[in-house]
Amino acid sequence: MSLSLGLMVLLAAAALLTCFRRGTASGRRALVDTADGLKRILPLILLALPMAGFIAEIIPADWASDWLGPDSGATGIAIATLAGGVLPGGPFVAFPLALAFLKAGAGPAQMVALISGWSVLALHRTITWEMTVLGGRFVALRLLASFPLPFLAGLLAEALLPFFPGAALR
Amino acid sequence: MIRLDPNLLRVGAMTLAAGLGAYAVRGWDGVARGLAVAADLLVMVGPAVVAGLALAAALRVLVPPGVLARWMGAESGARGLLLASLAGLIMPGGPLAAFPVVLVLAQAGADRGALITFVLSWALNGFQRIVIWELPVLGADFALLRFLVGLPLPFIAGWVARRLPIRWTLEDAPARGTRASDSPRGTRASDSPRGTRASDSPRGTRALDEPRGKQP
Repeated sequence: MSLSLGLMVLLAAAALLTCFRRGTASGRRALVDTADGLKRILPLILLALPMAGFIAEIIPADWASDWLGPDSGATGIAIATLAGGVLPGGPFVAFPLALAFLKAGAGPAQMVALISGWSVLALHRTITWEMTVLGGRFVALRLLASFPLPFLAGLLAEALLPFFPGAALR
Repeated sequence: MIRLDPNLLRVGAMTLAAGLGAYAVRGWDGVARGLAVAADLLVMVGPAVVAGLALAAALRVLVPPGVLARWMGAESGARGLLLASLAGLIMPGGPLAAFPVVLVLAQAGADRGALITFVLSWALNGFQRIVIWELPVLGADFALLRFLVGLPLPFIAGWVARRLPIRWTLEDAPARGTRASDSPRGTRASDSPRGTRASDSPRGTRALDEPRGKQP
């Protein structure tokens, strides 16, 4: 946990430094961008984190572990992929929900499939935005090229799981 | 002072509803446990959020997505797909910002494979979303695992898309944006009367944040 945090801080510092070496204006723009982002998202995070905690309290105890548990294997990954695909709403719904499922006993690989399915298939976003901006042909091309990928992500995650013991969460 | 944007209100309402639900199911103990979980998470991931935001901001200054577009043509091969992955990674914002950028990239010469890779990379591995949501809510180990697993997928999708018999050009987009509609099929942005190439201006992609007014 602290290793990846350290790596991230190091990367961020190096990137900012590169900006400043390119010019004071570039560096300042990156800093202002960071501050803006922080101002915008801090209230969101403060509001959304309790939601995750509350939802975990609400979900029936064995529901998540039965259907999406670590031992549910490829079936669980398939269910999670589809559930993610039809999950409406933005990240403030998907991520707290995944956390709640994890805490209620769902497997990390299944949740990787859920998040990936929500990202890639995203029925809601596809119909509202992609179709209207880019058209049906683009949607068809993209879905044909990508529909098996969330499932694949789940399987890959299952294979890599031993290297990420913290992914199962608390 | 906290600005009351609709997103904030929506999240606030959902949290309130979840809190009421937790109270109804488990009483005050449930509410207290939920809040304790939230406090733990915040302390754990606060620094990561700041670092991630700084990294994303610096990357956007150093490598604006539009700049990469001219190396994403149909002949660009694997390198074009890698660049498209990178562009999607640093692309900030939601679908309102990202899909119009697809039009900008297409006009700058990116082929359909690169465009598909870009969209998927943004949707799966968009840095801003990982930093703002995945890292704080699901923790570093989960976020890293999902990121690693997701990293090759946009590349695969772009590779597949180049081999699918579905053509897509700017003509097929209902909302072609103000600039894209100027150029006839097949011409590059440099030939367009307006002559403003998104790839030349670091902020070029921002300008296309608002063509939703043009939608049918």
